[in-house]
Amino acid sequence: MARRRQENHATSLLMVAAAGWLLPGAGYFLLGEKKRAIIIFVTVILTLCTGLYIGSIGVINFVGPAALYVKATQIMNPPVVLILGRHTASGAYPVHGWPNEIGQIYTMTSGLLNLLCIVNAVYLAHLRGTAQH
Amino acid sequence: MSLIAAGIIASFTVPEYIGTNPQSTFWLLPLVAAIAVIYKATKLPTITAGKFAREAVVLFGSIIVFIVITALALHALAWLITE
Repeated sequence: MARRRQENHATSLLMVAAAGWLLPGAGYFLLGEKKRAIIIFVTVILTLCTGLYIGSIGVINFVGPAALYVKATQIMNPPVVLILGRHTASGAYPVHGWPNEIGQIYTMTSGLLNLLCIVNAVYLAHLRGTAQH
Repeated sequence: MSLIAAGIIASFTVPEYIGTNPQSTFWLLPLVAAIAVIYKATKLPTITAGKFAREAVVLFGSIIVFIVITALALHALAWLITE
């Protein structure tokens, strides 16, 4: 009984984390925090889109020369960046200099903010789960 | 697909021009705003419009002030070293 409760708790935490990665703020939405979810969704998506607008989709390039930490933080964004990465892998969207720098900073920051929200949502789910039991 | 939609999508395929001038530092501001909004959205126990906006603006201002002070200090240090 206790083991099943633990497994259910772990599954719910994983669901919150996965939802938060798939759609920014969805983790909070699953926990009933609708206002937080909407604020986080709008802010993360706007930040990501701003970075893509400044530097073009070429700033998302997982096979390019960018450092590993750049790619790792960009992956923290919703999975749409993986689709963009497939398009840009051919090298058809070159970007250099300031647009590349600022575009990368914006997309990295949106990824890290999304990661922060995922971790926070999982922690909130854990606290609520343990409080119930 | 309408022309407007095609134009919007096309704008994401070419980088914008960002000059190497002091005005380019203003690109920092939307980023700081995003950080302040997300941080307050995760930290406040309850979200009400007025309180959330006030706290986010205060945090935004604090970060900007800190960055300006740091920039001035580094500028002074660079001036001292190069003089």
